[in-house]
Parts: sequence; structure tokens; C-alpha cells
Amino acid sequence: MAPEAVLSHLHRADGSATYTYNGYSIIGAVNGPIEVQRRDEMPEEATVEVNVRPAVGVGSPKERHLETLLHRTLQSIILTRSIPRTLVQITLQVRSLPADDTSTGVNTSLTLLPHLLHTSILALLSASIPLSTTLTAIPVAIPSSSKSAPLVSPTANDLLRAKPLRSIHVFAFSGDRKLLLNESDGAFSYEEWDEAYEAAEEVCCREGGVRLGEGMDVDMDVDMDGEGKVANLEAWLREVVKEKVGREQRWRVAT
Amino acid sequence: MATQPQPVPALSFPRPIFAALSPHPFLAAHLASDKAIRANGRKPQEFRTPGINTGSLTHCNGSAVVRLGNTAVVCGIRAEILRAEDIANPIVTGVRREDEDGEEDDREEIEGLRLLVPNIELATGSAPSHLPGSPPSTTAQTLVTRIRSLLISAHLLRADDLRITYAPPVPEDLDTPDVEQEEEIKGYWVLYIDTMFLSLDGAAFDAAWCALLAALRDTLIPHAYYDSDLETILCSDDPSQARKLKLRGLPVPSTFAVFESTEGDKEGDSEREKAWVLSDPDAFEEGVCKETVTVVVDGSGGTKGQSEENVRKIEKSGGGVIGRENMKGLIKRGVERWGVWERVLNDK
Repeated sequence: MAPEAVLSHLHRADGSATYTYNGYSIIGAVNGPIEVQRRDEMPEEATVEVNVRPAVGVGSPKERHLETLLHRTLQSIILTRSIPRTLVQITLQVRSLPADDTSTGVNTSLTLLPHLLHTSILALLSASIPLSTTLTAIPVAIPSSSKSAPLVSPTANDLLRAKPLRSIHVFAFSGDRKLLLNESDGAFSYEEWDEAYEAAEEVCCREGGVRLGEGMDVDMDVDMDGEGKVANLEAWLREVVKEKVGREQRWRVAT
Repeated sequence: MATQPQPVPALSFPRPIFAALSPHPFLAAHLASDKAIRANGRKPQEFRTPGINTGSLTHCNGSAVVRLGNTAVVCGIRAEILRAEDIANPIVTGVRREDEDGEEDDREEIEGLRLLVPNIELATGSAPSHLPGSPPSTTAQTLVTRIRSLLISAHLLRADDLRITYAPPVPEDLDTPDVEQEEEIKGYWVLYIDTMFLSLDGAAFDAAWCALLAALRDTLIPHAYYDSDLETILCSDDPSQARKLKLRGLPVPSTFAVFESTEGDKEGDSEREKAWVLSDPDAFEEGVCKETVTVVVDGSGGTKGQSEENVRKIEKSGGGVIGRENMKGLIKRGVERWGVWERVLNDK
């Protein structure tokens, strides 16, 4: 159940990653630090530029909004002061969306946002851009019927079945478990928000917590130990980076 | 001829130059002082007093001007008719009546047919960073997306208010009084919601949304009916037949900015690090604060906003200062702010 990630597969970009999960597939490329346009140059910081390209058609105001959110979040974790007067350019191309994405009735930019965040952090890691911390993000949906528990990291199909939904939340946590980004939409109380927060934190960064995919559907965790042997998303990210470093250090190990 | 030695000019700048040269230490010095007052003279938790004037534009169905300190916004709403035969893929063909509690899931109808068209424009000279004559900036596009998403997710408008229906007369020879008369939708009102920033000094979303809210509450929709002889939709010009929109609830946003005392990468002296949450930031404060939080609260459901499920939207990005505990406080501040806006919107 863990997301799939392929790192550094584009040879012209400084760093790249393809991320596939739950029917979402996104290619990310990072160029940086590179020369910055005079107009955007900042004397003490690096400029961060994020471009989001949709799966179909050209960018719309919706993509601009996503870019703004990504820009603000990534700017807070990239050590922009250690590479002043340069540009870090992040391009994210949505390759495919789940088939039911538009019919779920929820704001589609919210369901896409965590995947864009993951792709960008993987691409930044692949490009070895100095970062202060990593991040993990997850969507949580609260269905209308008061008895059902929050859906953590629901697929488009889950959302369709759980319709009507009362609220949907996206949380992003840094490596030291601080809340970096939160987008919540719908009608909810603080207590519900808190519950969603807890559920999200559990999956993102709890030590030895539940595995991704557990708890939402009991019947599904049959093949859990074969495929998704990750404690949480944080551990998954660590695993991906470990693999990448291992591959880069191959020449040393082989002797 | 010994002249008095000139005193060496002290290395100090007047206030505006200090603010322009090093904005971050300037605000930090203000907040770290004993009085803990912001550079604009407000306390960290203090909002600006809103001012509203409605019905200022004569050619609109509804309009409002909202002032929030130096932020001034005009919002005009124009209703135009979308004929049913022009809709390529009708989403709903028959009229659905609302349930007893007036709740109806009309989101698909409003969103799918795009019956609400918000737009935001920054006027020339409204903000120093805004260059005139360029395509809509990222700021404007982001604002429109946020406004549109809140309009839809808050279920503010009823599709019932926007439908133009027609009940064909029952043929007299058919003696079936128990068959319910079938109403059909002949068209829709499409609301073009144009918002113009005359001046932008922070808290753009709050000002734009409240202008939109005030304008929607002011909107009068003329009585439209289908004329079967002319086979077209006609509007009555009698103002007494025009009706207001029935809005659901009153969601009000409050924006907060988080100011951190250490600029940039905070390595090392984390014990000296301090953060202030500033309510309703102005443009200068938005320039030095990285993290912002917007909380949309609707207290109209219960008494004094204490009801359950009073939050409509939370948007937070740009940093990690506001966590689980602080958010509770911010929602409380948002509820208080809701009361202020409610008073202003109701007795303008």
C-alpha cells in the first residue's frame, strides 16, 4: 500500500522523481541552484519557483492556487539562505488521475495536493537541494454519517462510496512533527478537526504507529506484510532515500 | 577661531527608512518592546474595524464597498439568464423540492453549470507590487480560486433561488386533479461576481469575501417568467416583484499571520526564538511574515457562534508555528471576529 517512487530518472534535470499512489501519478523535476532572473533575484535568499501542469489542458487558476500553496510550504523547508541569489525551479507534471477523481464531489485540488507535495519533496531530495526538514502529507475525509470514522488517505473510489462527505482535510507534517500545511474544507468543529489531525499524524509520523492502509478497511490487510512494510510515511520516505543513497554508493560497496 | 566641534551624527534613521531598510528587525523591535504593539499601532490580537456601504453601484443587481483599514474593495453582482436550451448536458431536468429543513444538495447543479462566476481584479495603483497592464497575477488567480471554492463548499447560495421555472397549464379536458403539476426548468440566473481592489493593504481574502457577502445580501433578482406564446424568458420590471437571495449561513474569514523573531533559518538559538500571531495583517506585515492562517467561521447556526461544526474552512501554510493547540485559540478569535462582522453586516 505504500506509494511507489522512482528517483533521478530524468537525465537532463538536476533532480527528478515519479510518484505513483492510489491512481495518482506525478512526474517532478527540479533544477537548481541555477541562475536567477534579475527581476526575481533576492540578495539573501534563493528564489523558489513552482510550476504545476495539469493532466489535461493548460494551467488554470486552480493550478496557480496549488503552486502558491506548494511555494509557501517548500520555501519554508528549503534552506534558501544557504544558496542566496539563485533559483530553485520545481516543475510538476500530473501524469494520470484516478478515473473517478472528478465525480467524488470534493474539491479536486485538495485530493491532489498531498501527492504534489510528496513528488516535490522526492524531486528536491533527488536534486540534493539543502533542506531543513522533510515533509509528509495526507488527506483525511470525514463522512456525513456521524458513526463512521475518518477516512485516512482515501482513494477516489472510497470517497465516491462514502458520499456525501462532511469535510475534507489535508495535513502536511515536517520531520519534527510540526504542522506545515493544513487545508480543511466543509463543515466541521474543532473536535472533528482535532480527530482528523490525530489520524493524519498517526499515519504520517507516529513511531511504530499503524501502517498506511490499516484501520480503514479490515479486510484489506491480508497482503500487508509482503508489500507495505512501512511503519508510517516518514519511514517510507526514509526507505526511499536509503535506496537512493545505496545506489549512488554502489561503486564504493562493490570493491 | 576655535569652532564648537560638530557632534558626530548618530547612526540612526527616521522610522519610515528603518522600516524600508530592514523590515524584519523593525517589526521585531516593536513587538519585543514592553507594550508589544505592532508597527501600525494595533495590538497583536487586534483586528481592523470594518466599514461597509451597500448598493453603491446603480447598474448592478447588488453591490457593496468594504473598507478594512487601507484595504478597499468594491464588489458588484450582475445576474444574467442562462437559457435551458443552451445547456449542452443538463444536470437536472425536473424541479426538485427542498426537504423540510431546507437542505438540498444542489452543489452539483451550481458547480456543474457554473452559475457563480467570481472574478477579482487589482486596480492600477492598488498595491506597489502590482504592475498595471499585465495579465491577472498569481495573487489574483489564487484569490479567485479560494473565493470560488469557499462559495461552493459553504453552500452559500440555493439553486432554488437561481432557477427560472415554468408550470405548463393543465389541459382542462384532462380531469386528473391528483396528478401533480410538473414544473420544468426553463433557465437559470448566472451571477457574475466581480470584485475590484481599489487599494490593497493586507487581508485581501477577508475583505474580498466580506464584500461579496454584503453584495449578495444586497442583491435583488428581478422576477423572471417563461412566456409560452413568445417562447422566451421575460423579466418583470416591477421592483416590488423582485426578490432577494436567501443565503445559507454567514461564513466569515479571519486571517492571521505568524511573525517569527528569528529571520530565516533558525539554527542554534531556538531558546531565543519567539513567535507572535498577528490578527488581520496589513501589507507590511504580510511582507515579513511567512506563515499565514485563514479560519472561516460561521456562527449563525447556534447562539453566539458556540454551536457545533462552526468551522467552514481552515487554510494554513508557510511554516510550522501554529499547531494543534494554537489552532483552537485561532478558531476562538475567529468566532469573536464573526460577531463583529455580523453586527456590521446587519446594521449597515
